[in-house]
Amino acid sequence: MLAVEHLVKDYAGVRALDDVSLTVGNGEFVVLIGLSGSGKSTLLRCINRLVEPTAGRIVLDSTDITAAHGTDLRKVRRNIGMIFQQFNLIKRSTVLTNVLSGRLGYVSQWQSVLAHFGEDDYRRALVNLERVGLLERAHQRADRLSGGQQQRVAIARALMQEPKIMLADEPVASLDPATSHSVLKYLKQINHEGMTVICSLHFLSLARTYGTRVIALKDGHLMFDGSPADIDERRFKEIYGQDAVEVEIR
Amino acid sequence: MSATLGPPNASVTPPAPDSNQDVAASARTLLRRREDPRKRLLRAALLVLGVLILVRGWMVTDIDLGKLTNASNAGPILKALLQPDVAGRDVTTTELNLGFTVGATSDQPSEVKNTSGQTLRITPGAVEPGETVAFDGSGFEPDGTGQLRLVFADGHDLLFTRLQTDARGAFHEERQWPDTASVVAGAYTFRLVLNAPVGALHPSETFVSSLGRMGETILLALMGTVFGVIISVPLSFLGARNLMGRSPVGQAVYWVVRLIFTITRSVEVLILGLVMVVIVGIGSYAGVLAIVVHSIGSLGKLYSEAIEGIEAGPVEAIAATGADRFQTVLYGVIPQVVPAFLSVTIYWWDHNVRMSTVLGLVGGGGIGYLLIQYINLLQFNQAATVLWMIVIVVTAMDYASAVIRARLV
Repeated sequence: MLAVEHLVKDYAGVRALDDVSLTVGNGEFVVLIGLSGSGKSTLLRCINRLVEPTAGRIVLDSTDITAAHGTDLRKVRRNIGMIFQQFNLIKRSTVLTNVLSGRLGYVSQWQSVLAHFGEDDYRRALVNLERVGLLERAHQRADRLSGGQQQRVAIARALMQEPKIMLADEPVASLDPATSHSVLKYLKQINHEGMTVICSLHFLSLARTYGTRVIALKDGHLMFDGSPADIDERRFKEIYGQDAVEVEIR
Repeated sequence: MSATLGPPNASVTPPAPDSNQDVAASARTLLRRREDPRKRLLRAALLVLGVLILVRGWMVTDIDLGKLTNASNAGPILKALLQPDVAGRDVTTTELNLGFTVGATSDQPSEVKNTSGQTLRITPGAVEPGETVAFDGSGFEPDGTGQLRLVFADGHDLLFTRLQTDARGAFHEERQWPDTASVVAGAYTFRLVLNAPVGALHPSETFVSSLGRMGETILLALMGTVFGVIISVPLSFLGARNLMGRSPVGQAVYWVVRLIFTITRSVEVLILGLVMVVIVGIGSYAGVLAIVVHSIGSLGKLYSEAIEGIEAGPVEAIAATGADRFQTVLYGVIPQVVPAFLSVTIYWWDHNVRMSTVLGLVGGGGIGYLLIQYINLLQFNQAATVLWMIVIVVTAMDYASAVIRARLV
């Protein structure tokens, strides 16, 4: 279970997150929505400490993430998988190397210098590549793959961490609608297998299709927390502004 | 955004569109009014300043186009440049001596023949002043050049005529015997000295030694580059802003490393060469050390900039897996910079070969050492050989490095 308590983040005088509190239970598929700049990315990045919170506490299964340092932080991070809008693969490395790099939180420095991963790690790589349907691409360079395939490699890399929770920061914002669905289906599938997922999305229609719960942010404040079905016209205008019109993506 | 545009000015009313030209002109005026007049003033001031600096530069550097008419002074050197000493043939020298009488008459020719059948004949064998003498030679090497010298009884001699053998190895010269008081009647000897090329064309000694020195130059540059890379690669990570973070220690290391880069880069390689010659003596070793020190700064700076130019996203993604800082650099940074590093290194080796060709001027070994020797001895044909070799090798390396780098990126 993930608990965020009174989280505040200031960027050089600009308050990106203002007293955000929420709890996410195991196995939930939480969709974060809100305008660009509403604080979705900052919230996600505070959870794995890519961004240092200014105040507040984040607790994952009784581990205080905000207090972790050094080796502890490393352990915290390997328990949290993350995928990104720009996929963030090492483009010139092979798919397999990219996937294996998901194990870096478990191997020693010497093992990583020699790129010496254990038999265990290779078995996990095999399983996870198969899971995202890209086993036959294992030895291709990552930048040879399409956007959707690259995002699936990123999912496989995150799964290598054997995380308790998966964060996804606009995972489909760089993809076309059809590919978006294929990527989200993989996220939904691992969610069905028991993984907690927190995913930020631009399109409310996607949030309704995939989310079990929607959290809306506006100007760093929590605006809405509830079922996707409860977002009516009035709520929508509250979150996205009076001029906004809902666009469907199927 | 509105701050740069200025507040909309209500007093400006669009002019009546009398004609298209009017509209265009006033639109320009309208837009110009939106520009800060101080900005325009600053632009004009900068322009004036620029012109003043150029004028001052012209005066300080004593530019005088009229002096270019002296270009013909460089004629002999330029001519030598077009005739580099690259290849030649061995030369054999033949000497024949033949007695001759002045102040007598004879209708018999005088002749001498050596064991190789080379013959010199003078017709007639004795002359009075004013008579015509014919010199005939046969059996010599073709295309030879030589001298016919008149040897006096006391042993001293003077040049009588120059001659050349034809394609069959023969020559024929006729002279009217001069009526001079210096050649009194008596017995003399004609000495023929003939130099002729023999055997096949082969590379000249200059060419062979230049080639050896060129090889040395390329290896000198290679060693300098290799050690420069070994030192500058680790430093470059410490001199990359995006890796050193914002902690005071990180910032201090960053600035120290950048300072090392700037200092080593600012001292020219020739000056470093002079210093190294004092330390380790004249030779290639001094050149290697000069190249190493010079390369640290330049390579380090180029590497650091390559690191600063990488995508932050993949680095963040690796850090998010729970990798430590070292692993993050290893898996997130290094794969991204490898092509750029290789490209920079090859470019810099190419650059160092160019530097090495002049290091010899200060005793740093390499081909420049040979070049300065030839120039000091005024052996311009030999110097030309060296210069042409430098041009060809540097051009070839430049091209090769461009091709390799194009494939890498």
